[in-house]
Amino acid sequence: MCQIIKKMPQVKIIAKNFMDMVASLPAMKLDKLYDNAFICEAILRSLPPLAKKYVLQMLYIDEPVLATSIHEWVLADGESKHTVAVDRLVQLRVFVETVDRKKGTTYRLNTKFQINLQKHIVHGGVLPREPMPSTITVRLPSLEDLEAYAAEQWECFLLHLISSGQAERATNFSSSMMKIFQRGLLSQRDKEAPKLTESGFQFLLMDTNAQLWYIIREYITNSEERGVDTADLISFLLELSFHVTGEAYNMNTLTDIQRNVIKDLADLGLVKLQQGRKESWFIPTKLATNLSISLSDLSSRKQGFVVVETNFRVYAYSSSKLLCEILRLFSRVEYQLPNLIVAAITKESLYNAFENGIMAEQASIDSLLYIITFLQQNAHPRVAERIPSVPENVTDQIRLWESDMNRVEMTPASLFDEFPSRDVFEAACDFAREYGGVLWEDSKKMRLVVKAEILGQIREFLRR
Amino acid sequence: MGHGGDKGRPSKKHKSSSAKEDRRATVVDDEDAYYAEELDEDYRGEGKKRDFSKLELKPDHTNRPLWACADGRIFLETFSPLYKQAYDFLIAIAEPVCRPENMHEYNLTPHSLYAAVSVGLETETIIAVLNKLSKTKLPKEMIDFIHASTANYGKVKLVLKKNRYFVESPFPEARWFSFIYLLLVLRKLLKDGVIAAARIISEGVHGSDGFAIGKSLGELENGHSELLNEAELAAAAEEKETHSFEVDPAQVENVKQRCLPNALNYPMLEEYDFRNDTVNPDLDMELKPQAQPRPYQEKSLSKMFGNGRARSGIIVLPCGAGKSLVGVSAASRIKKSCLCLATNAVSVDQWAFQFKLWSTIRDEQICRFTSDNKEIFRGNAGVVVTTYNMVAFGGKRSEESEKIIEEIRNREWGLLLMDEVHVVPAHMFRKVISITKSHCKLGLTATLVREDERITDLNFLIGPKLYEANWLDLVKGGFIANVQCAEVWCPMTKEFFAEYLKKENSKKRQALYVMNPNKFRACEFLIRFHEQQRGDKIIVFADNLFALVEYATKLRKPMIYGATSHVERTKILETFKHSRNVNTIFLSKVGDNSIDIPEANVIIQISSHAGSRRQEAQRLGRILRAKGRIQDRVAGGKEEYNAFFYSLVSTDTQEMYYSTKRQQFLIDQGYSFKVITSLPPPDTGADLSYHRLDEQIALLGKVLSVGDDAVGLELLEEDPDDIALHKTTRRAGSMSAMSGAKGMIYMEYNSGRNKQHGQKKAKPKDPTKRHDLFRKRFV
Repeated sequence: MCQIIKKMPQVKIIAKNFMDMVASLPAMKLDKLYDNAFICEAILRSLPPLAKKYVLQMLYIDEPVLATSIHEWVLADGESKHTVAVDRLVQLRVFVETVDRKKGTTYRLNTKFQINLQKHIVHGGVLPREPMPSTITVRLPSLEDLEAYAAEQWECFLLHLISSGQAERATNFSSSMMKIFQRGLLSQRDKEAPKLTESGFQFLLMDTNAQLWYIIREYITNSEERGVDTADLISFLLELSFHVTGEAYNMNTLTDIQRNVIKDLADLGLVKLQQGRKESWFIPTKLATNLSISLSDLSSRKQGFVVVETNFRVYAYSSSKLLCEILRLFSRVEYQLPNLIVAAITKESLYNAFENGIMAEQASIDSLLYIITFLQQNAHPRVAERIPSVPENVTDQIRLWESDMNRVEMTPASLFDEFPSRDVFEAACDFAREYGGVLWEDSKKMRLVVKAEILGQIREFLRR
Repeated sequence: MGHGGDKGRPSKKHKSSSAKEDRRATVVDDEDAYYAEELDEDYRGEGKKRDFSKLELKPDHTNRPLWACADGRIFLETFSPLYKQAYDFLIAIAEPVCRPENMHEYNLTPHSLYAAVSVGLETETIIAVLNKLSKTKLPKEMIDFIHASTANYGKVKLVLKKNRYFVESPFPEARWFSFIYLLLVLRKLLKDGVIAAARIISEGVHGSDGFAIGKSLGELENGHSELLNEAELAAAAEEKETHSFEVDPAQVENVKQRCLPNALNYPMLEEYDFRNDTVNPDLDMELKPQAQPRPYQEKSLSKMFGNGRARSGIIVLPCGAGKSLVGVSAASRIKKSCLCLATNAVSVDQWAFQFKLWSTIRDEQICRFTSDNKEIFRGNAGVVVTTYNMVAFGGKRSEESEKIIEEIRNREWGLLLMDEVHVVPAHMFRKVISITKSHCKLGLTATLVREDERITDLNFLIGPKLYEANWLDLVKGGFIANVQCAEVWCPMTKEFFAEYLKKENSKKRQALYVMNPNKFRACEFLIRFHEQQRGDKIIVFADNLFALVEYATKLRKPMIYGATSHVERTKILETFKHSRNVNTIFLSKVGDNSIDIPEANVIIQISSHAGSRRQEAQRLGRILRAKGRIQDRVAGGKEEYNAFFYSLVSTDTQEMYYSTKRQQFLIDQGYSFKVITSLPPPDTGADLSYHRLDEQIALLGKVLSVGDDAVGLELLEEDPDDIALHKTTRRAGSMSAMSGAKGMIYMEYNSGRNKQHGQKKAKPKDPTKRHDLFRKRFV
């Protein structure tokens, strides 16, 4: 029976969420972030429940608290949660750790963070900016329209990302920015058309939020090169997530840098820009307001659209070009109809997928899981309740095909034959064995195959 | 499809025209393996991506169940509320490509449209209903295609009324333009010399042009009425006037010939107005009250008797779904003498039994005609059950047989009932049809070889496909067993694989991968498991005779193969059915067709006929007959899977390749094969045979020491079309050859051939007379 792998592999190429990224900032920048009350609130919200509890408990304690006393707050079976909570708080510099040889480790809340949060509790939260009155902003899009707009923008961006020719509209991003996004996702050998790397392959199969994180992360990491301060950018993005979806916010409340950023974000579908007679404004979409929510919290999924049949045929209720490209990664697209794409998963199409990137064994297993997860996560409501939503024989077969591919292991090697005498042959064998480089030997015909990496030594040895 | 899709095919056909010549001469061929391949290219062609995204979606498209593409492909959602109506309609006008759970695919072909027209659907109705069901506007190409394909079909009918043959053309009153057109058709026909000569001008004709005008009932039951508006419905149901002229009975065959697509191209539909046939004596038979046809059986019968007359055609039902009841019902409705043709003697017995089981026919009215039973019924009407071979046999017959054949020849049969039409080649049909005179022909099969535009007149020999059931729907309804299919991967042992790879063993390859000890052990394990743990009845199939004998002897189980006599076969089958000690039998491919073993519910296949999808489906059919109570069988019941189909394949051998091909048909019907990679489970199996290496090596020695003849030649004599040794030979050929229309011999198992066997065995083939193909193998 086929081995069933239960765990999804860790997503290697992205930080799980925004806060991971915040946590990785240098101490100085982090402290600067806490100047902003919204950030403090966002950080608090993102914390694991136990960590939240610790923060609230210590909100009005101005003295450092002993680590051991905090430890006493939890029951024995909460040990692991406790460790996670404290680690996280230290990472985010919400807890400032002091290690004293005599007294032991103590923690206290980051002062800025503490003051901001106290203020917040006393005075209540204030919106980062006021929405514009509807008298000025006529014809705001409905929430559905906005969501459709966001999806369309995002798709257009992805199409640009994987093949610039496919997209219908131009993008605001400079080609150098695009190159930065593509780094790691596409590889290009001279003069050939760019190809997806294994990360790129996996990237395309992730859900929109995961993809968005990847892009935002790249966007933030490279902000310094564009002359934008990382902390500023993060704080702006977090701030944005506190805006109300569908409301209009005046552009003139933004700094020049933020105004540039917002244009990029419009390209990604995070905001929609509109121009009135005098004023211009931006409208955050769901993508923007979801930014500060961690990945795992996202329970609301969009409706699925893929039906996989037992005969390996895939029917996708969609007209999206991007989806068509994604399906093409691992299946053969046969028909395109106005609202349906018909494709077939075949051994060849899968091998094609695995060869797309240069894949090691682990990578192809990962990709395989991405394919299966993609099909499962996007299952059409009609089959979504069916367990499994992708027929077992299809997933089994995909795994078997994959494992079939890895039955042969390639090792660069060199063949030696026509040894002058048996003694030389045997000596060579012994020598190679010492280095652990013998792949095959035929003592009858005196032939020897060794790993390529010891070729030099063997040559040297035989010359003697 | 007739247009567009077939570019580039002709070149493929001519790729090896010399090989095609060979094909005609030889009786041995890899038809199935090749056929599957061809289908691959035709229907699943790589790089032929079709973009129809520019089609216009109707605003209420979510309520409509299908998409229609310009190249003839149709996609149907099975979860649409209109699914049932849409399915009935599509099955009438299109060929199913695949029918899994949620989405069906169909192809419109000229032949499927011919079938549609012949069951009474009119061009405009087809287009109107299709348009109603379609989510998009119908592509213009498709509308044109329907017009072009149906222009000539169904315009002329050949009706046998009171033993006078009439060429008839229906005339829808409301449409005067069609009237002109149809008169033109009749005139066009009469311009042909042969037809004009055959015409009988009777006295007192009235109506324009001297055509007789009569009335015939419009199609009352076409099932699509709810999809049409009233005006359209009225047009369809109204009584229709027909124009006709009479032809000379002696010339009927010639007239029919002239109307075939290769001549005038107005293929005639044959209808039998049996109620008004006063010349042929009636046969007093009724269905017994307990014979309750199931909904799909009713449906197929209604297609056949749709307008009060009997149409000729083919009904496709999976094995075990009750084809015989459909046959018996048809005979009971026509109530005239019936000639029933089966593929072998065992199946003749079974048909005779079915007739007696379901109908009130008296014993003396039914008789069997085989080499062992030479009877003829008494009275002036009755049923004769015989084999194709008995009728088509060209050699000298015994006096007794000659007399019966004479009877068969001279009689006017009301119904010619033909079982398993997919295994009988066209030349056999031609012969049978030319020998016997029948008013109506009904073909029954489980797996109709799919037609495309290259099939020749097989369709016209019997008639169009009248009905085809959906396997999954029957499973869901609990009418046939829900089978768990599994492909068991048996790794070759090191020693066997080493021999397999050697060039000098190329002739023994099959024997080597079938005798793979791991396969043997998997087989033994499965037999034990099902016999002991579940108390199941098991059939093991092996095409390779050497393996069959080895396996059966080693496991001490009874076996049946070509040389087993009829008496012995019957005896073994009886013990298998009734004895509690015999729970497993080994069958060679003689068991593929029509041997009815309702008790069996497990099949283990250890070797098979290359890439034959038909054989796979047929074998599965042996266990499809539903067992147990219906509420246990349906999804969620305690016996959801109560039948098991295991196909054992040796990994890394040709078998893997063929296995994929073979499963295609079943997969297209919505079955899925689970892959089992380790059997017996790793920690068990010490008590199974060939556990020790020395035993395995001894077995290997045996396989290698046996002459090439033993693993090959004997097999060839057993089944003249066996391809076991030649499966690597693949040649280009036309679809008609695959379907048997070019006169190739298909599987034929008749006990009457035992004598020939004897002769063949006694006289080894003269090597010089061997066909090219074989000569290569023997030098």
